[in-house]
Amino acid sequence: MVDLARKLLFHDKTRFAITVSGVAFAVTLVFVQVGLFEGLLTNASLAIEKTNADLWITARGTPNVDFSNAFSETLVQRVRSVPGVARADNLIVWFARVSLPSGASENAVVYALKDFERWGLPWSVVAGDPRDLRRGKYVLLDESAAKRFGPFNVGDYREFNGQRLKIIGKTREAKSFTTNPIAFVDYRVAQAFEPNQLDNRATYVLVKLAPGADAKAVQDEIRRRLPHNDVRARDEWGQRSRSYWTDSTGLGLNMMMTVFLGCLVGVVVVAQTLYTSTLEHIKEFATVKAIGGTNGEIYKIIAKQATIAGLVGFAFGTAMAFGLRPVMAGIDLKLVLGPQLVGTVLVGTLVFCLAASALSFRQVARLDPALVFRG
Amino acid sequence: MAVLEANDVVKEFAEGSETVRVLKGASLSLERGEIVALEGPSGSGKTTFLTIVGCMLTPTRGSVVIDGRPVDPKRPAALPEFRRRSIGFVFQQFNLFPALTAAENVEYALNLKGRKGPEARMESHRLLDEVGLSDRRHFLPRDLSGGQKQRVAIARALAGDAPIVLADEPTANLDARVGEQVLGLFRDLAHREGRALLIVTHDPKVRAVADRAVRIHDGVIFN
Repeated sequence: MVDLARKLLFHDKTRFAITVSGVAFAVTLVFVQVGLFEGLLTNASLAIEKTNADLWITARGTPNVDFSNAFSETLVQRVRSVPGVARADNLIVWFARVSLPSGASENAVVYALKDFERWGLPWSVVAGDPRDLRRGKYVLLDESAAKRFGPFNVGDYREFNGQRLKIIGKTREAKSFTTNPIAFVDYRVAQAFEPNQLDNRATYVLVKLAPGADAKAVQDEIRRRLPHNDVRARDEWGQRSRSYWTDSTGLGLNMMMTVFLGCLVGVVVVAQTLYTSTLEHIKEFATVKAIGGTNGEIYKIIAKQATIAGLVGFAFGTAMAFGLRPVMAGIDLKLVLGPQLVGTVLVGTLVFCLAASALSFRQVARLDPALVFRG
Repeated sequence: MAVLEANDVVKEFAEGSETVRVLKGASLSLERGEIVALEGPSGSGKTTFLTIVGCMLTPTRGSVVIDGRPVDPKRPAALPEFRRRSIGFVFQQFNLFPALTAAENVEYALNLKGRKGPEARMESHRLLDEVGLSDRRHFLPRDLSGGQKQRVAIARALAGDAPIVLADEPTANLDARVGEQVLGLFRDLAHREGRALLIVTHDPKVRAVADRAVRIHDGVIFN
């Protein structure tokens, strides 16, 4: 079978290159926008996902893991007595002001526990031992802090809310959604950062369920005993932390708008090039009709051209997006391109290209095969 | 037996508020193996008549019978099927697909007529052999001379064993020598393969190969 669609498409290489470039550009734009946003969102719930707690107890109405509120640290005792709870510990998540050698200051998000190892924190240690934190005024600082705090080494000192802490190790990929680096310190050290707010207080209680415990029943019982707190399962809490940034800040809408514009650029380019290509090949399509072809056969030719342009454009766009990943990583931006996103963009590209090709169908439907007799 | 019969064909077009009658009762019949030259001045209705017997337009009145089957003017959607099964076209401007080779141009026509795969490929090669282009099968139209392009167009018109071939000024874009060669080819094919051939032309040389010539004037055909 002679593939007229492919032959016509590749015959005009410049036009084909323009169509493919338009699709590739739109695909890259969508990948970069969504991928960067996904990368940021990952940070919004990364600590929640990395911690091996099944339940998080928060102050009432806490919107996300970074924006915590303190409550009495003695509540943990009530939680420990609930049947089905294997373990429960206080956690402090708090913003600290870090004084830099340059005289400037920056923020860090402090995670403070008595026993880090038990809860799987920090999740990626590149230098030092988290067990040493309990020995005093020490800190494990994420290596991403170098960008904002300037270069630092293990053994250096930094002031956190006026307290001089020795850096005894480094972690990797411990950043909050706000891009502030995470610092891991001992629980009592964090309380001393702001005694008037944190003395005898915590911001979360982490709960590990006993094997075989009914999570819902335990959750309900904790809610009964701590009526002024929220009790959330890990997944729900992660989702809430991410939703805060997408729903409450307009960032989600912003991203949707950019994705929409990316799609629009792709659709317009494909529609325009296919439409003008159809007009340029109108006499050839008239010939197809004259020698017995139907409108349906010409629609198939145009739709196939749109599909080929979409697939080739998608391949180039995807390659460009993946090629940008190390570049983005170099400037500390995480581009998350998961298989689900790739699959969705592929389907979207094909749907939009086919929709764009439909613009040409009207020309074909009105096409008079007798055109072939006109010079 | 006639493979093409047009009886008292009338065609009217609306031009603004006016109705223009282009064909005013044109009649013609073609037998298998017969070559008929249709001559007439510009605006006499030649091309309109060709589009009606070529099943691209339906007549306002009158009847057209193609290979024993009447064309129903109330069913324009059935016209492509008549074109596919029974009619081959040769155009003044050749109208080859520039992106396809000579063989592919013929094979594509066969594909549209339902013949596919190696069978269609072999048939396209056979048809190109018939028109003397066996050494130009893989050439794109841009690499062929005018006469060679018209031979490819003739091979395409013959594809699928259409009993009727309609040619619109097939020698108009060819020089005299090549035009004569093409007409000779038409004559051989019509007589050897038993195809009915209607050639619309201004070229007096067509008469030399035609079995008869008819004239169209002001929408009426005179034998």
